[in-house]
Amino acid sequence: MLEISNLAKQFGTMQALDSVSIQVPPGQFVAVVGCSGAGKSTLLRLINRLVEPTSGAISFDGQNVSLLKGHQLREWRSRAAMIFQGYNLSPRLDVLTNVLVGASTSIPQARRLLRLYTKAERLRAAAVLDDLGLVEKAFERAERLSGGQQQRVAIARALMQKPKLILADEPIASLDPLNARVVMETLRRINVELGITVLCNLHSIETARMYASRAIGLRQGRLVFDGPISALTDEATSEIYGGTPAEAESDALSEAA
Amino acid sequence: MSLTLEALPGARAAYLEAAIRRPLSRRIKRVLFAALASAILVYSAWVCEIFSPKLLAGLPKLGNALLLMLSPSGFQYLPEFLWGLLETISMAFLGTLIGAVLAVPLAILCSSKTFPIRILQFGFRRFSDALRSFDHLIWALVFVRAIGLGPIAGIMAIALVDLGTLAKLYSEAIDNASKGPVEGVRAAGGTWLDEIRLGILPQVLPVMLSATLYMWESNTRSATILGVVGAGGIGYQLADRLRVYEFGQASLIIILIVVAVSAIDKLSAWLRFRLIGSA
Repeated sequence: MLEISNLAKQFGTMQALDSVSIQVPPGQFVAVVGCSGAGKSTLLRLINRLVEPTSGAISFDGQNVSLLKGHQLREWRSRAAMIFQGYNLSPRLDVLTNVLVGASTSIPQARRLLRLYTKAERLRAAAVLDDLGLVEKAFERAERLSGGQQQRVAIARALMQKPKLILADEPIASLDPLNARVVMETLRRINVELGITVLCNLHSIETARMYASRAIGLRQGRLVFDGPISALTDEATSEIYGGTPAEAESDALSEAA
Repeated sequence: MSLTLEALPGARAAYLEAAIRRPLSRRIKRVLFAALASAILVYSAWVCEIFSPKLLAGLPKLGNALLLMLSPSGFQYLPEFLWGLLETISMAFLGTLIGAVLAVPLAILCSSKTFPIRILQFGFRRFSDALRSFDHLIWALVFVRAIGLGPIAGIMAIALVDLGTLAKLYSEAIDNASKGPVEGVRAAGGTWLDEIRLGILPQVLPVMLSATLYMWESNTRSATILGVVGAGGIGYQLADRLRVYEFGQASLIIILIVVAVSAIDKLSAWLRFRLIGSA
């Protein structure tokens, strides 16, 4: 169970996240929706502790993870695996090593520096890659793969972490529709077959309706919607995105100007 | 197939093992490369006699030398030394500036992105190679012989080596620049010069500035040495004092140089930050 209470984050004068409280029981597929700048990325990054909260607390299975430091913090990060819009692989490293990055917390530092992995570790990485249909790319440089393949390598890295939670930050925003579907289906399988909780930032409501069981709506850093995906009606959506569709459009236009 | 995430023993493990086994040729290449590298390492150590007892025996003397270097005297010569130092810094500045300005067109002629005539491009590349294949010191000796003692010889030496080095660094930056902006300018009806000025130059300017600032720092150090062969600046005074065993005065000069070089380091770091916006 992931419990977030009164979580807030301020960047300078900008209130990125404003007193957000949510509870996520294990095994849910939660879509986090909202305009760009609504605080979706900040929320996921706060959970993984890539950014530190201004106030509020995050706890997981009864443990307060917002106070962890050092090795315990890294353990938590590996349990709350991040997936990024830009994949964030190490572009010149081969695919297998990129996946082995996910095993970091269970391998001594010296071996990681020398990239000396045991056969068992390499085999496990290969198995994860194979599950995602990419084992034949094991020795390719990550940067030579297509976007969809790179995102699946990033998912393999996340699975290598043996996560309890997957935090996917706009995982399909840079992908074409076909690859987007492959990646979303993969996330769904991880959720259904392995029972891993997924929190996924999406800007497409349609995708959210297709894959998520629950939706969380953020607007200007505030929680404005939290309910089952069936309650995410068109009215609820326009509330999240700022009034009527016409108003939302004028907002977007003034933002672009 | 379901997500197992493990290489279960049996057929799957065997299949995966085969999938992540590096090809034999690559493993052989690796071993050969490691063997060759260690052989070169051992051989060069042997050639340089680094295993001789000289090093250990000399270490205590190093302490004495350092002590001498830190006992400055001859403060009555300070104005003279400061003037020499100013000359050195000016030489480095002028030499770098001349080299950098000339390096821009040369770099454009050296890169296949901006200059399509292969055979001429090859020629320009070899020309810039030739310029930087000798150290400043060699060029300075040549110019001192040709145009006499003084800072002009030093400036020419720095400018020539910089021309070669910066042309290479700039042209590499141009090689790595993205082609998109160039196509954009061309598609909008731009000339060859527009493509360079508006498509390439804005992309490579930060790299060029950074390389140039580094050369300026580095040349301030090199310019010190140039004085030793008579090409102007503080180096001349330093060599002179060392020749007559005036270690106290030499020490003062060295301290002045250290202060000046680190001041220039700081100044160029500040400039880099102001101009490019990152360290």
